[in-house]
Formats: sequence, structure tokens, C-alpha cells
Amino acid sequence: MTTLSTMDAFEAQDLTVARTPTQEAWRRFKKDKLGLVFLVVIAIYFFVALWAGTFGWGGSYEVAGQTRPAYEASMGQLGIQLDGKPFPESQVPPNLAGGANTMLGTDALGRSVFYRGLQSTKVAFIVGTFGALLSVVIGMTLGLLAGFLGGWVDRVVVFVYSTLASIPYLLLMLAIAFVVKKGDFANWYDDLKIGEFDVSDFISLGLLNLVVVIGLTSWVTLCRLVRAEVFKVRELDYVNAARSLGFGTGRILFRHVLPNVFHLVIINFSLTFVIAIKSEVILTFLGVGVDKEPSWGQTIAGAKNELMTGIWWPLATAGTLLFGLTLAVNYVGDALRDALDPKLKT
Amino acid sequence: MIQYVIRRILYAIPVLLVVAFITLWLFDIAAGDPAAIKLGKNPSPEAVAALHEKLGFDDPFLVKYGKFLWSTATLDYGVSFTDDTPVRTIFARGIGPTLSLTIPAFLLGTLVSVVLALLVAFYRGSLLDKTMTVVAIAAISISSLVYILVFQYVLADQWKLFPIWGYDYGFGAITFVALPVLIWILLSIGTDMRYYRTVALEEISRDYVRTARSKGVSERKVLFSHVLRNCLIPIVTRMAIIVPFLITGSFLLEIFFGIPGLGNTLYTAIGNSDLPVIKAFTMLGTVLYVIFDILADVSYAVLDPRVRLQ
Repeated sequence: MTTLSTMDAFEAQDLTVARTPTQEAWRRFKKDKLGLVFLVVIAIYFFVALWAGTFGWGGSYEVAGQTRPAYEASMGQLGIQLDGKPFPESQVPPNLAGGANTMLGTDALGRSVFYRGLQSTKVAFIVGTFGALLSVVIGMTLGLLAGFLGGWVDRVVVFVYSTLASIPYLLLMLAIAFVVKKGDFANWYDDLKIGEFDVSDFISLGLLNLVVVIGLTSWVTLCRLVRAEVFKVRELDYVNAARSLGFGTGRILFRHVLPNVFHLVIINFSLTFVIAIKSEVILTFLGVGVDKEPSWGQTIAGAKNELMTGIWWPLATAGTLLFGLTLAVNYVGDALRDALDPKLKT
Repeated sequence: MIQYVIRRILYAIPVLLVVAFITLWLFDIAAGDPAAIKLGKNPSPEAVAALHEKLGFDDPFLVKYGKFLWSTATLDYGVSFTDDTPVRTIFARGIGPTLSLTIPAFLLGTLVSVVLALLVAFYRGSLLDKTMTVVAIAAISISSLVYILVFQYVLADQWKLFPIWGYDYGFGAITFVALPVLIWILLSIGTDMRYYRTVALEEISRDYVRTARSKGVSERKVLFSHVLRNCLIPIVTRMAIIVPFLITGSFLLEIFFGIPGLGNTLYTAIGNSDLPVIKAFTMLGTVLYVIFDILADVSYAVLDPRVRLQ
């Protein structure tokens, strides 16, 4: 309590207060009010994604004014086996008007546009988070090793990423997607069970595919940045001090060097998150993305045919929801870059 | 400099060898048996064997790899799976329509981005600058597919300002590529403008700008003659990096607007699992990237006498 009031007193007199780098970054980030607003937006999307499954159940049968079992039975008569899966197919013809559950109308297949839009956040978050995570882990680790160890390790890493960067991005993504989706791996993954738990039921092959494709193709930028930064950092006194204390390479790398380049990792995570959810749309359109779960990519890809009959609202909904999340992450990423850059003093 | 270029070319060779290996390996795993694609359902075993023989399907991997490298060296990738057209002919057919779309789009887009970037750098910190930054972030947050669908639907389908679909060789192409060009510019402007703005701001804070100002040069002249000239290096370098994407970058635009270019060719090839075409695309894309990467570095040295390549 005393420390806090001392700090306040210092601050009131505009004297320098010692803050940890994280506190300093947060203090600077807070100044950007729009950034805070967008942070809340991301949080809302995240909670919608967490509860996406629940939304699905409601939207599916209430559209037709039925209970779930009755709805499943009526679907069964039409030859559509729902088997408890949240695919809300109603009998309402495509229109823009609707009740509470179809407030944004229904699509060409009679599904609630509103609920599908909300359900899709789940795919966006899985692809964005895990795709970016995989990419960041690869880029960070290779960048740290190459920059710190130098020598042949550095040469190998540089060779790997310059090779990868020279392959046309789209074709590389497609090649990896083909291997994951069509090769022996697909069969192996379909049968993969941990105990009684079927892995492919939890994360479908299409989703896993996207995560792998994005993780493997988008780590180069971060790797380059981290490598260059570590080059600068590794001769600094604190690293030498750690060495002279007899710390191992692993400890120096992850406890001492990593915190000094971690701002790059955070910023890059937000950038890759955006790349991932945008790539989902393109890859799903090309037929190598998500096919089981509802996703914005599916809705947008399907809009190509829907627009011919004038059904524009599914595209508008999915496009707007996607835009909202991307804009929020882009803006927060930008604000983070400003807040985390130690050279910018405000 | 010549020594530098030669060394870069020599360094590119192992890169290309590895890319060829990856391409062949990935697509070979993914593709499965070409007989299933070419001969339809239930082919006779003799026909399958004959086809395997002809395509060298049963060759060991190293033999295939050797053949593939030879194809890249001679730029002869054999014939397409679907209709036996030589891959070379397919490329020759597609390159014209693609470039008629991407070159004007690329040049106009760069021009607009640079002018806008200089403008907001000139009025830095003002309301205009802040608005443009937010607009640019918003513009890059929209999925490219949404751009295409919305513009096609509103401008071409509803308002009938542009043709929806199709292509005409010669000067008639202008009406068909106009809308795709517009979309390309809108797609690239957000990223490009922000990049060039950073470049311009970095230059504006330099000493020579202060000198020019202090000797009474007008602000406009400082910007467009002193600053712009020094910005040329990053601008040209960035342009050189983008050039390889002029071949594949219009992929989606070509599909949606029915332009019979390379992107459309690739899309058809992917749909048909036409491996010779896909593999040729990957390799040629890589070769172009490597060439223009070297050119970007060389242009550095040519434009800036202080840069010495070693």
C-alpha cells in the first residue's frame, strides 16, 4: 500500500517511476482508447466462439418451431441424418425477414444466417490461435537458435527459410494441404484414437489441415526478425554475465535472451492470427479447408452461387463478422507494436 | 558487382534443387495414381501399365527427380494430364491475359499508393493522416474474396458498369480487366500506402530535408523532388519483390472474372489434379522469385551509389 502511494506521489510530481517492461507497455497501450475498445471486441468474439456450440443447438430447430428430437426426426424423413451434429437445416425458404432466431434471414439451404455466423467464430479462433501458435513457436525457436548459436546452425536455418520463402505461397499451402487431406495421413488421422477418444471428432481433418498449413508456411517473417535481433543482443553484457556465471545455453536463451525479443513474438502472433483467418476463406474456397464445421470461409465461398439468385445477406453477415474480428486484431496488433517498442518513449 | 551476382546465382542453385525436391515429393504423395485421373473408372490393367510406363510412374524417386530437374533446365514440362496439350503451350496462352490484368494494376496501384503516402506524410499527424491510417487498416481487414464478390455483385451485376465475366484479346480487354484492376488496387493500397508512408517519414526526418527547408525550398519541392528521389530505393526494391506475384497474384480475380490467364489455368489444373501443370507452376514461380530477389539487391546498388554489394 505504501509503495503504491509512493508511486502515485512520484507520478503526480512527474518523477520517474520504475516500472517493469510489461507495466510500461500496458501503461502505453492503455492510452490508446480505440485499442482498448478493440480489445473488448476481441474478447466478445472469443466468448461467442466458446459458446458457439450452444448457439447452434438453439438456432437449428427453433427456426422451424420444433423441439430438437422432433426436428431431428423430421430431418430424418427427408434423408438428412443430423446424428446430434449442430447443423441447423430448417425448412424456411431463403429470405431476409425472420423471427428472433433468423433475424438475419436464412441462406440458400434454409439455415439461419445469424446462428451460422456466430458458430463460425469457433473455426476462426481455432485456426487463428493454433495456426499462429504453431507458426510463432517454429519461427521463434529457429530464430533464437540461428541467431544465438551462429555457425552451421545459422546457415542451415537461413537456407531453410530462404528456400521456403521462394516457393509461391499459394502453391506451397496447396501442396501441404493436399498431402494432409488426401494422403495416407488422412486415413491415419481418421482412425486415430487416444483411448476411447476419437481425435478427429474433436478437431476435424479440415481444421487440422488449416492449422498445419498456416503454421508451416508463415513462420519465416518472425524467424528473420528474431534472428536479426538475437544477433544484436548476444554480445551484450548481460549475456556475457550469464555465461560467466556458468549458465547453460538453454537457460541463457530462454530465460535471458527470449524476454528481450518477446515483443516481436507477440506482435507477430497477432499478424499471423489475421493471416490465418483470411487464409481459411481462400483455402476453403479452393476446397482444401474446412468442410464439416460452419465457417465464414464456407459462407463466403458459397456466396458465389447465392449471389446469382440475389441472396446477398449470408455474404454480408459473414463478411462483416470476419471484418470485425480482423480489424480488431489488426488494430490491437498495431497498438501493441507502438506500446512494446522500447525505443518509442511517450 | 558481377562477382556478387554470380555468387547469388550459385547460391540459388541449391535452393532450386531443394524446391524441386519438395515440389516433386509433396505433389507425388498427394496425387496418387495418375491412371485414376486419366483413364477414368475401371481401366484395364494393360492400359494402366502402359500409362505408368509412359509417364514413368514406377520409376524410382531419384530418376523422377532427375527428369524433373531436366524439365526445369529445358523449360519443357511435358504434356498436361487432361488433354495432352504441352505445358509450354498452356503457359504461352495464359501469360498474355494475366499480364494485361496485372501490369496495369501493379503500376497504377503503386502510383496511387506512393502519391497518397507522400500526401499523408506531408500532412503527418493531422486528421487526414490519422483517418487514412484507420482507413488503411480497415481496408486490409476485409477478405479479398469479399472484395471480389461485393464489387462484382454491386458494380457489375446490379449497376451494370462493367461486364461480369469474360475476356477479349486486343484492345477489347480493357473493358474486361477494368474492374479486376480496380479491385487489385484497392486490395494492395492498404499495405502499400502504409509501407511507403513509413519510408517517406523516415526520409523526412533526415538532415538534408532540414537543410533544404532552411535554405528556403518550398515544402512541396522538398517532398516531391528531394524526399521522393531518396524514397526511390525502397520503392523500387519493393516493386521488384512484388513482380513475381504478377504471375500468380491475380489467381482469384481471374477465376471470378473469367479471364483465361495463368491463374485460371492453375485453378483448372488444381481441380483436375493436373500435376505436370501444377509442378511447372511451382518451379517457375520459384525461379522468378529467385531472379527478382537478386534484381532487387542489384537495383539497390544501382540506385544508391553508397551501397556496395560484396
